[in-house]
Amino acid sequence: MKRMVLGGLAEAVLAYDPEAATRWARQAVAEGIDPIEALNVLTDAIRQVGDGFETGELFLPELVGAAGAMQAAMPVLQEQIDRSGAVRQSLGVIVIGTVFGDIHTIGKTMVATLCAAEGFEVHDIGVNVTAEKFVDCIIATGADLVAISALMTMTVPEIRKVIRALEQKGLRDRVKVMVGGGGVTETFAEQVGADGYDPTAPGAAKLARKLVGK
Amino acid sequence: MAMNGFVRKFKPLEILTEEQVRAIHLATLDVLETTGVRMEHKGGLKLLEKHGCKVDWEQNRARMPAGLVEECLAKVPSQFRLRARNPKNDLLMGGDRVYFQTFAGMQSIDLETWEPRPPTRKENYDAVLVQDACPNLHFLSTYTPWFGWKGLPPVMSIPESDASRLRYSTKAIETGSSYDSEVFAIMLAQAVGADVLGYMGGSPPLTWYENAVEACFRLVGAGFPLQVISGNTMGANGPASIAGSTVTNNAELMSGIVLAQLIRPGTPMMVMDFCFPQNMRGGGPLFGDIGAFLHNVVFNQIWRSYGIPTKTPPAGASNSKQIDYQCGYEKAMGALLNALSGTNVIPLQGGLNGELTRHPLISILDDDMAAMIGRFLNGVEVTDESIALDLINQVGPIPGFYLDKAHTRNWWRKEQVMTSVADRLTYPEWMRTGKKSALDYAKERMEQIVGTHKPEPLTPHQEQAVEDILKEARDYYRKKGLIGEEDWQLYLEQLESPGYPYA
Repeated sequence: MKRMVLGGLAEAVLAYDPEAATRWARQAVAEGIDPIEALNVLTDAIRQVGDGFETGELFLPELVGAAGAMQAAMPVLQEQIDRSGAVRQSLGVIVIGTVFGDIHTIGKTMVATLCAAEGFEVHDIGVNVTAEKFVDCIIATGADLVAISALMTMTVPEIRKVIRALEQKGLRDRVKVMVGGGGVTETFAEQVGADGYDPTAPGAAKLARKLVGK
Repeated sequence: MAMNGFVRKFKPLEILTEEQVRAIHLATLDVLETTGVRMEHKGGLKLLEKHGCKVDWEQNRARMPAGLVEECLAKVPSQFRLRARNPKNDLLMGGDRVYFQTFAGMQSIDLETWEPRPPTRKENYDAVLVQDACPNLHFLSTYTPWFGWKGLPPVMSIPESDASRLRYSTKAIETGSSYDSEVFAIMLAQAVGADVLGYMGGSPPLTWYENAVEACFRLVGAGFPLQVISGNTMGANGPASIAGSTVTNNAELMSGIVLAQLIRPGTPMMVMDFCFPQNMRGGGPLFGDIGAFLHNVVFNQIWRSYGIPTKTPPAGASNSKQIDYQCGYEKAMGALLNALSGTNVIPLQGGLNGELTRHPLISILDDDMAAMIGRFLNGVEVTDESIALDLINQVGPIPGFYLDKAHTRNWWRKEQVMTSVADRLTYPEWMRTGKKSALDYAKERMEQIVGTHKPEPLTPHQEQAVEDILKEARDYYRKKGLIGEEDWQLYLEQLESPGYPYA
């Protein structure tokens, strides 16, 4: 039964099917399967999709579809992990979002998915996110790294605000900052004191690993 | 009478049957009535509710009866005049007229490395000069033509941009709306006695944020014409199919039209199709893709059936990073297909990689493309004189010859386009003159324009008014905390420079 349930979970991610993923996650909890083990199955499946994306066999619809399936199953397993008091092993915790005034989501979602595939615990807090919300989520999740996205030239300065807010709250030393998006350049990243910048989603996921020293 | 621009003298290219147009139309009305649009603006929702829309106040959703939508579409004038600073540059939007417009971009490009870089203030004003000097560029787009320049606070981008175009050109202009910028755009246009085509930008799918709706109220309230814009990325924030994406795009545009026509019935309007397929590898839009042009052709056909003027920016966009073969063929296909299918405005001159980069040299190159497309639109004159039956019979076979005939002298200039920078030399001439390319000629032409072109200046009174409005904008944004001290100090260096406002 355990084998079937875990196989079902992986299949659901590889079939981009959020409803099946949720169903199999619930089944895993009902069968008393270790939620960490189930979570690792999800991560392996998303990594498989991420690898397919990097080699050019899979494309964005598959990547985002797999991420959606994983995200659908996650709350069910996370609840069980919290209940059992188990500690989830990951490369680190990432908070990711698009800055205030900017509603572009695709690049940010790609980075979030590929970071999850790398083995990070990713908290995607969406688009149009204020500096205050970034800070609040970093505190709430104990994030090791924040990934800030801005596509439009006019919203790029918002990145500076997030970094300043981190400094003001005394968090800057313990949280790595990675920036990206169409409007961001390496020069800008250096100017605002970000720890890293990469123009591509796969590169950003690798950068995240490097920044947390894993 | 508007003197500029081109007129299409033949039937437009249509690729849908009447039944297909009807099916898309009915689906669009269904979306507006069943799903409606999200509108983050209480005043807008109240107005819609008052006129029969069902408003869900918890979700800020307005569902629009089909009858109201069709009634509002019918109120939009099929043509309108957009007054320029100099009346000789007025535009008559709609019908079979086709105008070419600047294609704006976030950054400039380095011509050695082809990498993007921010332009300077002087480069911006020089680029406006080039726009003023291009004979086939009729309409100046929002932005400077760049989205800003070094040391310019982002919130001042649109007001400074509007001012630079009014100072250095008398051609018709449009404006964007961001952080209340339309307030200053209205004041600037009124100060110089021109119109400004306003901007109401939707956020796909099916969403209007507060600033877009507020801009609509302000611009329509001030009596200016309005363009409603939507641009879903097919497969991302719109359906991947061209027909489906047309439905959501048109639903957004129609809902904007309903609002504007309820604010002021009869408001002149234009709709803009800014849709691209999603690049399923890198995540950005596929600029210069044939799918975008198919979308435009369908769009032009449908909106012509409503009698509402159209604008289609994908025509001038490319995915190339260099001024190269790809850039040329993508832009040429887009511009020509749009011209043939009946768009009224083609944003073309200057754009390179979508909205990310542009360069004035491309404006000069594109202007030749616009000249050729304009010639094509003019069609073929078939008269006794052009058929030249008597002449053909008179010249007969070899050694008959046409170069020395009066008919040739009368007709060749009408039929051919005299390009400005295209390389049309023979090999010996080309080798003797340094093997120059069109890009080399464009560089020479740009130097000539920057060195010699004199735009018609604002009157001292108008210049003072423009400067006063910019000062008001700066004060407004500083008070709102949207220009930080660090940005202000950088900006101040420009404002206090002896070259201000041009360098």
